[in-house]
Amino acid sequence: MVDMDAFAKPGKPYYLALGMEGSANKLGVGVIKHHLGPLDENNRAEILANVRSTYNAPPGQGFLPRDTARHHRNWVVRLVEKALKDSGVKVSDLDCLCFTQGPGMGAPLQSVVVAARTLSQLWELPLVGVNHCIGHIEMGREITGARNPVVLYVSGGNTQVIAYSRQRYRIFGETLDIAIGNCLDRFARTLHIPNDPSPGYNIEQLARKGKHLVELPYTVKGMDLSMSGILEYVDGLAHDLFSGKKSKYLYDEEDGERITVEDLCFSLQENLFSMLVEITERAMAHVDSNQVLIVGGVGCNERLQEMMGIMAGDRNGSIYATDERFCIDNGIMIAHAGLLAYRVGYGNELEDTVCRQKFRTDEVYVKWRDD
Amino acid sequence: MRDQIVDDLQLRIPTVPLRLISQGAEALIFMTNQHPYLPAGVNPCDVDNPGKYIIKYRPPKPYRHPKLDKRITATRTSSEAKLLHKLYQLGVKAPKLIAIDAPNGLIWMEFLGYQLPDMRYSSLKNWLWLLERESDRDHPVALADNVKDCCNGIGRSIGVLHLHGIVHGDLTTSNIVLTDEATLKPSLIDFGLSSYSGLPEDRAVDLYVLERALKSTHPVYAEKYWEWILDGYHDVHEEDGKRGRKKYSETISRFKEVRMRGRKRTMIG
Ligand SMILES: Nc1ncnc2c1ncn2[C@@H]1O[C@H](COP(=O)(O)OP(=O)(O)O)[C@@H](O)[C@H]1O
Ligand SMILES: [Mg+2]
Repeated sequence: MVDMDAFAKPGKPYYLALGMEGSANKLGVGVIKHHLGPLDENNRAEILANVRSTYNAPPGQGFLPRDTARHHRNWVVRLVEKALKDSGVKVSDLDCLCFTQGPGMGAPLQSVVVAARTLSQLWELPLVGVNHCIGHIEMGREITGARNPVVLYVSGGNTQVIAYSRQRYRIFGETLDIAIGNCLDRFARTLHIPNDPSPGYNIEQLARKGKHLVELPYTVKGMDLSMSGILEYVDGLAHDLFSGKKSKYLYDEEDGERITVEDLCFSLQENLFSMLVEITERAMAHVDSNQVLIVGGVGCNERLQEMMGIMAGDRNGSIYATDERFCIDNGIMIAHAGLLAYRVGYGNELEDTVCRQKFRTDEVYVKWRDD
Repeated sequence: MRDQIVDDLQLRIPTVPLRLISQGAEALIFMTNQHPYLPAGVNPCDVDNPGKYIIKYRPPKPYRHPKLDKRITATRTSSEAKLLHKLYQLGVKAPKLIAIDAPNGLIWMEFLGYQLPDMRYSSLKNWLWLLERESDRDHPVALADNVKDCCNGIGRSIGVLHLHGIVHGDLTTSNIVLTDEATLKPSLIDFGLSSYSGLPEDRAVDLYVLERALKSTHPVYAEKYWEWILDGYHDVHEEDGKRGRKKYSETISRFKEVRMRGRKRTMIG
């Protein structure tokens, strides 16, 4: 059993951490409280504040690093103030300041690190750099109570199947080219649908109205998958559809009706999600687990959750998922994972708070677990 | 749920005794003592384990769209069966195909493998895990010569496949089994994702997938295992002569590229 209280302040029965996230187009700040002792069903982390502001690019465009960083700089002070106010916590009562060190986009990451460094000096608080993916995993475990699940991490920039072993979250499968969120976002751009609240959400809504399944490439490679070819293919179909082509493949082979944009969204989702569920199932079989946890922005998708639930059920297992407060990038997960690390002695000196765009999940030594 | 699936299958083949031995990545694996058309007690002469057969069943996957599901199940079942037959013709060690029922997603094949000292099945994964548990600094039994020979053999098998224009598509330590306790002769299994391809990219991804499976499943000794597998892989290409050497260097340089791609990929959000 890991001693989670070797660094506790004498006489203080709890810990408080503030977390700041800004690795992509969301800026989030959260405040979390842990009581002494290992976390379990009877000793849960308490969420005292969790606020967020999202930068949305205009329809047809992706968010650019510079604009996103500007958004984060504009909002960071206000969000920190709001989070502190919501939590009712005094700065002097905080134990540490946690920030996303990577992976992510350079400029937005940096704008948040600068804010974190400033606050740390102003408030004389230690800094804890957090791996964004570890943030998602630890928060997902805490919220759902899943102890040792296979984790499907699906977001704008990541598609990974992860399982814990020997104090690391190890990557069993991942995309060989683009990430699932990126694939959906880019297709949304092709369709010129709005980026608000998120491109993926809008595709999900359209997909619900689709009824014809269009055949798309299905490209699973063991526990890995490839998506760029599928995107290219479905993009091509969309262009042909918009330009009014009358080709045979633009009509359903059973009822002869013309394929719609909704059908394309539906087919893309069905195809990609089947691949995701399949590689997750492969990993579950390989490591002998029957729990699955979905984290990351795309994890909010209800169809994906439904499909994963059916698969887990067929393996006599269960699925754990969270809602948009925790799935979508947020500050609380950074506070939580950072605090776990702080409690076992992690901390970053000012000079090693440089952010890392390609910080891999399996680089982190998970000292707070020893199962 | 799982029991339901098993009952449904048993109803469809009521005269065949079925014992569920494993739930793989996509299939249910049953053991039976009955050959599909030979009388009881009579067995083909060229199987490792007379009287022991595997029935691999790909049940419908209710999570995916029925149209997609049918397409995937049918293609995988028939392509796996075809490949098993092809490997038999090529003399590559693999379970021998006995019968196939593609519409029902069933393949009947030879049973390979044995029981390890810890009572588990002799997949490469279970064997290595066992050795890794028994290893310590002074006696790293997981790095002994027999492991090296076995890894060489695996590399050779993969090499032979690639030389014949076949990619396995799902190389993990679960999909490699030891067939004989004395010789530790390895065999590849699970050809559902296999295909014919002449592209260096596909062969490179085949290797990449296995390398990562090793790193994640056997983190402590993965590097050594991988080195030995590549040695065997290299040797069969070398023995093939000029054509093999060319193919080898194409595959390996592509493999390095695939690895780099993984490291360079941006990860946003
Ligand atoms: N021919 C065989 N002989 C003995 N065991 C087998 C055989 N084929 C499969 N198995 C067992 O069943 C497991 C799953 O089989 P596999 O063909 O890999 O199916 P899946 O595609 O579901 O992974 C294997 O890991 C192995 O333990
Ligand atoms: Mg398998």
